This record gives sequence, structure tokens and C-alpha cells, in this order.
Amino acid sequence: MKPILKFDKVSKYYPNGVHALNQVSLEVMEGEFVSVIGPSGSGKSTLLRAINRLIPISGGTVWLDGQAVSELHGKKLREQRRKVGMIFQNYNLVYSLSVLQNVLHGRLGYMNGWKGVFGIYSEPDKRKALDLLKELGLEQFSYNRTSDLSGGQKQRVGIARAIMQNPKLLLCDEPIASLDPSSAKTIMELLHDMTQKRNIACIVNLHQLDVALKYSTRIIGLSKGEIVFDGTPDQLTDEMIEKIYGTSRENLMIGGSDDEEKDTVDCA
Amino acid sequence: MNSNARGKIVEMEETVVRERKASRIPVKCRETNKFIPVFLCAVVVLTVMSLIYLEIDWLKMASRIPDVGIVFWNLAHLDFANIDLIVSSLIETISIAVLSLLYSMILGILFGMLAARNVFRIPFLSTITQSFFTFLRAVPTPVWVLLMLVCLGMGPEAGVAGLCVHTTAFFTKSFAQSFESIPDETLEALEVTGTGRLSIFTNAILPAALSQIVAWAGMRLETNFSECAILGMVGAGGIGYVISTSLQGYDYGTAGVAILLVFLVAYCIERIFVRIKKKFA
Amino acid sequence: MMRKRIPLIARDFKRLYTGFLILAVLLFGICSYLTNFNLITLVSNGDAFWEFITEDFLPPALPKSSRIPGILSSVLVTLALAVSATTIAAILAFFVSLFGSEKVSPFPKAAKFVRGFATFLRNIPALVWAFILFSSLGIGTGVGFVALCITSFAFMVRAFVETMEDVSQDCVESLQAVGATFPQRVSQAILPSCLSGFLSWFLYCVEINIRASTIVGMVGGGGVGLTLFSYIKGFQYDIALSIILLIALMVILVDQITGKLRKELLK
Repeated sequence: MKPILKFDKVSKYYPNGVHALNQVSLEVMEGEFVSVIGPSGSGKSTLLRAINRLIPISGGTVWLDGQAVSELHGKKLREQRRKVGMIFQNYNLVYSLSVLQNVLHGRLGYMNGWKGVFGIYSEPDKRKALDLLKELGLEQFSYNRTSDLSGGQKQRVGIARAIMQNPKLLLCDEPIASLDPSSAKTIMELLHDMTQKRNIACIVNLHQLDVALKYSTRIIGLSKGEIVFDGTPDQLTDEMIEKIYGTSRENLMIGGSDDEEKDTVDCA
Repeated sequence: MNSNARGKIVEMEETVVRERKASRIPVKCRETNKFIPVFLCAVVVLTVMSLIYLEIDWLKMASRIPDVGIVFWNLAHLDFANIDLIVSSLIETISIAVLSLLYSMILGILFGMLAARNVFRIPFLSTITQSFFTFLRAVPTPVWVLLMLVCLGMGPEAGVAGLCVHTTAFFTKSFAQSFESIPDETLEALEVTGTGRLSIFTNAILPAALSQIVAWAGMRLETNFSECAILGMVGAGGIGYVISTSLQGYDYGTAGVAILLVFLVAYCIERIFVRIKKKFA
Repeated sequence: MMRKRIPLIARDFKRLYTGFLILAVLLFGICSYLTNFNLITLVSNGDAFWEFITEDFLPPALPKSSRIPGILSSVLVTLALAVSATTIAAILAFFVSLFGSEKVSPFPKAAKFVRGFATFLRNIPALVWAFILFSSLGIGTGVGFVALCITSFAFMVRAFVETMEDVSQDCVESLQAVGATFPQRVSQAILPSCLSGFLSWFLYCVEINIRASTIVGMVGGGGVGLTLFSYIKGFQYDIALSIILLIALMVILVDQITGKLRKELLK
């Protein structure tokens, strides 16, 4: 197994003085399923977006597949980005387009220039997209407007789009935060199966501790922009959880509603 | 419902199969809004026809572009010699804008009562009021001001009255809309207690619509100021008169200062309003 | 029993309304003083006012039949001016607005300047632009066209930027993550998701510009505004009234049409 991603003392300061990431170093191997946990504002989202440079970092180096992403520009940066699939909390689909078109967007990074602009995709790409939709159980919706789908279905389209990229690494930013429990379970299982089958490394930001414990091969705990825990799920002790979240395990496990309440307080 | 949905799925599967047999796989939605491309084409055709009809002499205009540069250069040389005249006419303009806004709000609430279908419940009255104010609203403000100038002579009265026509018409429509947005159930609940129409209005409808009234007023202040600033150009007083006379008299320095002040005031009103909206949204 | 009166509405709002009321009364006082505006003079002049309306304006009179084709063609000029200026401005505004949002533009640092430029253009009324241009380009329809273009361009840049930030910020981010180029992001994410919003703003701008082109016409841009102005200047108020009715008819018709179109577009 070789490392697909390496963070070398990566820092990110926002103009308002917030240190979102503070000298973070880590390595992710091929085929790993890593969960990143931590309270709101601990820098989880910044960590993910630093990998494909949706957010430029302030210090350190991010190595992706043997190349330093932080120094790339233009075409080179796009070539690195297409190796990294991304799944978002709000699905981030183009709702006025068809499901198939949204899945095919995953190929845009491989297409040069005007073909992509006018949405002229190759036949093998289209066939692959349809097969992927079938695998995800969405083939009958291929030609529906994406806005007609339910939340869980939208997230499945998001997964299909990411897989269309043939990624080496999959980033998931709170993939189940906007979903009901049963859809959330489906999505987590799909993510797990699809990445294992294709040997794709996967990094998931999660709010739900129990989900992280169930699916991941490795857990990273972030607190105030620093890694405070990095190990397998069974190494995650109650004391560690308290260190990450600043509160005891019982307070986190009481139930979804309590958790959400805490969130809104944090946001405010 | 259930069988219907199943039928739909079968239909969908059929289309998928059919479309996959074709040599090229389509990617677009099955149901697209076909009106949008038609609309876009129509707009382009209309625009081209309009441009041909207008017979604008583009070459002549292009040849004078350097002159535009010179005018802007001259405008940028601000001349503060007439600053007291500019400031006093600017204050007059702002005052006219504010006064017409306040008077129109009162009138707008009164006429809005008549125009809203749920206040007095006389549909005939509402229709008459609404169509009358639709007419008033359709005629641009400067036309009304011109007419008022003819009727009342020069002075702030003509400006206020002229602006009031359009602003009242605007408020009547928007206030009536706000009044009508109050659910009928609420009003019925009061009606059965034997409350009179007018007290229902003052106790239930008006307070509920108040926040919207304030929002409309803030929005309208912006428009009223810029309308008021141009009134001078069609013959009424105020800052517009200063701008047009100094431009026509080649006194670009004074015009530059006046235009800059108009911009600053409009910008401030916009900023303040955005702030307030953010705070109470 | 009760010491305090029970408040009926939330305190925040109560404070807002009281503040608003005090502000309104204060402003009313100050402005009335500054302009010497007096409602009573206006009312006492009411008789003369009514006399003027009933004697000079009513009933509306038709102009000489030889003038009618000219008047109708001037209405067409006003309509053509509004439509063409709005379309050209919309096309320009679309391309400029792509650079006006930090989230969408490939040069996020320049976005502020683009928006600032649009704010400057927008906050100076169309008629002022017309006057500035008249003094350099001379009087004519072309200048009216450019003046309308400037303000509607600036207005639409702001509206388009806001629509984009509301609607397509998320999908632009996802396409960026996919490795799509800027033109690809525009055509595959921004255009499909925002097009109906853009068109709705475009229609709104047409409505505004119908009125604005009438006004610009009055000061020398041509069209029905100029016709009206010449009749008012010539003291032919009864004919002026029929032209005002014509303008109202034109505006109401356009409003009806754009309303129908908007419904179809947003389906």
C-alpha cells in the first residue's frame, strides 16, 4: 500500500484571525476509509477543501498522489482535482439538469475545452454513467430533472458523479447531515461498498460518532484545528472523545435532537 | 395513486430501453421547458428589428467617443465654487423625496384599505380603486410632475404632489397586497366576536402588515430620491435643475460636484436600507 | 392588579416601530420647514387646480388625424428603444456579472471592483447619464439608447450576481472540485440553474425601461416622451392627456405581457 495523500504541517488562517488548521500532518493510504470527527468549527471542512484546493492554504504542503497540490495552477491543478471525487452535504447538484447530465459532470475534468462547455459527452462515458446509475438503483430516473428526487436519491447522484471521475480519493463533507436516518444508512453503506470495491481511499467528515465507529477503518479527531486523535475505532476511548469534543461521551450519544441543539448554539 | 406511479415507472423504463437502442444516447431531461429557447429567439429577433427601426447613426456616435472622454475629464475637475447652491438644492431634493414618501404612506394606507378585498368586502370598490391606481402607476413620474408644474406653478408643491401621485399608486397596490396576505381565518375569528370592519382593520390587519409597510417605504425611498433628482431636468427645481443647467452652460466642474453628491446620497440610502433589511430579515 | 401593561408584540419590533414613527414625524417637520411646503396652500389652491383639470385637460382630444401615424410610430420608437437597450445590456451584464461574485469568478480579488463599478453606474439616474451624454454626443435616439443601457446594465449586474450567489454557488463549487474549466462551470452549472432567474430579471428591467425610455425621450431621446413634451409646451393639454392615456395603455400592456411570459418561463 502506498500513500495517496500526505499533509505536511498544513496551516490555514482566515483573514478574521481564525486558525482553522494548525500545523496538521497526516498520511492516507490507498483503500483506507477514514472518518474525521470533531465539534463544529474544528476545521473538518477546511481540511477536506485544502486537499483539492477549493480553499487555498496559508502554510505547509499537501501532497496528492506524489504531487504538491498547493503549488499547482490552471491545467495542472484541474488534472489533480479530477483525481479527487467530492460529495457535499447539500449535494451541490445542478437541479435544473437531468440526473444523467449531473452524473456526466464527473467527466468534465477529462474533457478539453468546448466539448465540455456544450455538454457533448462521449458514448462510452454515457454508457458508463447509465451503468453506474443502475448500480445505484436510479436508472429509471436518468432523464428526470434532478430537482424531482428525494434527498437520499440526490446524494446517490452525488456519489455517481464522484465515481464517474475515476477518483483515487473520495472526499465526503458531511454526506449524511441533511438526510433522514434510513437514507443516511443507505448512503453510508453505498459509500463503503463502492470505495472498497474500487480500492478508492475515502475521507468522510462526520458529525455522528456512532456512524464513524461503524464504518471506518481509521478515525481522525480534530479539535481547534489540531489532530488530537489518529487511530483505529477501537482505540478511541471515552477519554479521547472527551478530549476531542470537550464533553463526555454520554452527552454526545443521547440522541440526534440534543446533538442538533448543540449545533445551533455553536453556530450562533 | 400507487398504480399510477407504477405505470409511470414502467413508462420510464420503456423510454430508457428505447433510448439506449438508438445509436447516440441522449442526456437531456425528458421534459424540458420548451418555452425558454423560443423566448430567447424571439428576444433576439425583436432586438435586431428594434435596432434596425431606430436607425441609430452608430458611425457618427463612434466618431464622437473622444468627446465623451473629454466631458468625463471635465466633470472630474470638481469645482466647489457653487457649493452652497448645490447643497441647498440637494437638501430641497431630499426633503421633497421624504415629504412625498410620508404623505403617500398615509394616502397609501387609506387607499390600500379600499383596494384590499378583505377590509370592506365590497369587490366593486376594490376593482375600481385598483384599476384607477394601475392607470396612475403606468404613467411615469416626470409626466405627473410636469402636469403639476402646469397646474400649481414652480415650487416644492408641484414636486411633492407630482411624486405623490406615482408613489401613492405604488403604495396602494403593495399595501393592499400586504393586507390581503393576512389569512381570512384570522379575520373571521374577529368577525364572529362582532368587531366592526374599521376596528378589525386597525387592530388586526394594520399591525400584521406593519413590518411590510416599513419595508416597502424603505424600498421606495431609494426610487423617490432618484426620481426627485431627475425632476429638475424636466423643469422642476432641485439638484436636477442644477445639473442640467450647468451641463448646458458647459460648467462641468459644478455639474461634477452635483452628480457626485447625487451618487453619494443614493449610495448611502441603499447601504442603510441593506443594513436594516439584514438586521430585521 | 396589573402593574405593567402587557406588551402585544415582541420588544424588538416595538422598538423598531416607535423608532420609525419618531423618525417619520421628525423628518416630516424638518422637511416641511426646509421646503416651505404647506398642505393648506395646496388645498386652498384646490379650486384653481380643479378648474384647470376640468377646463384644460378634460375631455381628452385627439390630435389632427395627419399627426396620428407619427404619434404611433413614436410609441414604437419608445418600445424599440426599451427592448433593444435591455437586451444589449443583459448580454453585457451576464458576462460582467460572472466576474462580480467572489464565489464564481476566476479572479475573486477583482470581484469587489466589478461590483463597485456597477454600484457607481446604478446610483446615478438614467436621465443624468442621458444629460452627460447629450453634452458630448449630441441629442438623439442613440444617446437615449446608451443611457438606458448604462443603468439597466448596472442594475442587472447586481441582480445577476445576487441570483448566482443564491442559486449556483454550491454547484459551482462541486464542478470546481471535478476539475472543470471556468467556461465549463459557466455553461454547465451557472447557466442551467440561473437562466430562468436571469430572464425574470430581464423582464423586470424591460418593464422599468419602458417607463425610463419615455422619460429619456422627453429630454431629447425621441419617442413618445418627446411628442408629449412638445404638446405640453404648446399648451395643448387636452391632446397631451390623450397621449398620457396612450402611454398608460402601452405600459399596462407591456406589464401584462411580461407577467404572462414570466409565468411561462418559471414553469
